[in-house]
Amino acid sequence: MNYRHLLPEEFDLLLDDEVGFGVAPLREHARECAQCRAQLKSARVVVAALEELPRFAPSFTLADRVMAQVPVFVPWHVAARDTVVRYVPRSRPARLAAAGLAAAGGATLTGATLWLAARGDLVAFATNIAGNHLRDAAAQAGRDGMVALFGPQVVTTLQQGGLTGLALIAGGFLLAAAASAFGLRAIASSARRRS
Amino acid sequence: MPPALDLANLPDADVVALAQRGRDAAYRELIRRYERPVFSLVFRMVRDRELAEDLSQDTFIKVLQHIDRYRPEFKFSSWLFKIANNVAIDHLRRRQLDTVSMDGSPHAMTSDAVEATSFDISSRDESALDRMEARELGSAIETAIAQLRPEYRACILLRHVEDKSYEEIAATLDLPLGTVKTYIHRARHELRGLLEHLKQ
Repeated sequence: MNYRHLLPEEFDLLLDDEVGFGVAPLREHARECAQCRAQLKSARVVVAALEELPRFAPSFTLADRVMAQVPVFVPWHVAARDTVVRYVPRSRPARLAAAGLAAAGGATLTGATLWLAARGDLVAFATNIAGNHLRDAAAQAGRDGMVALFGPQVVTTLQQGGLTGLALIAGGFLLAAAASAFGLRAIASSARRRS
Repeated sequence: MPPALDLANLPDADVVALAQRGRDAAYRELIRRYERPVFSLVFRMVRDRELAEDLSQDTFIKVLQHIDRYRPEFKFSSWLFKIANNVAIDHLRRRQLDTVSMDGSPHAMTSDAVEATSFDISSRDESALDRMEARELGSAIETAIAQLRPEYRACILLRHVEDKSYEEIAATLDLPLGTVKTYIHRARHELRGLLEHLKQ
């Protein structure tokens, strides 16, 4: 019977614990042949050492450093859901209490809205009165301010000029403001050119 | 209200899908799962802890910035290790002089030839940090691994530390299956010789 030692790739099959067709005779030969058995044993020592190699740990800041440089695009609906989930209590009693409070608050708001809707005319009347008061107060404050700044004659002139007079004064003010702005800009530009 | 999602028990593909939908926690889970394997691979390739940290960081940044390109028909770990290996190999190529000095001629076929064509790195002046790193990687097998060619080193580490199959290694490193088997066979053979030499 021809007798040969195991080929290199056959050693690899045994080292990798292959169980396919044709491996059994190789295993049998390794049991019977002292030279191949010794070679296989020293190869297994190497493989065992490799498989016992530890995994090293990087510094604990690696994840933070990576995340600082990776933009995470969160869709709006995911962000909204995450925000809501963040405020939901974790324990069941707390969730029940929060749900109860939310229901009570919602019922109160709904009741108030319905009450207001049923009394719409009352609301409109109250809003109108409040609006008139506010307008009168603002107008009085404006008059008082003009009198304090320019004297009572200016207020009289404005009242006599009406809306047309008011529009002319406002237009004149805007023109003067624009002219001042252009003038200041021109002065600043010429100052820069000279320097 | 259903309990918060337990990312730790989800398969990689599901976590990646969540990351692709913008879940910050999914990104962190992927880093948590693979920071040790990636760092270990890169550290053993470049043998410098600080550098390995930087390269591992670069790896994760590249992967997570392009997470939308991941295709679920491939294993996420294979894609991740491919990028990690490329990042390490690119660095070693830029440092080509040191690589040649550690690993010997790429044409060396036996451990004696490798030894004859390599420089003895232990003759460098070592700083305290080098000595600490050497202790960490100072076991005989680690010293032997460092003397392998980068291609052999990557294959043998993926096979025996990360427990990848030959086919997965071939897909990860973009190598033919036959080449992977050859590299692993040669790596085992050289490690056996180097370990016997170190014992003496």
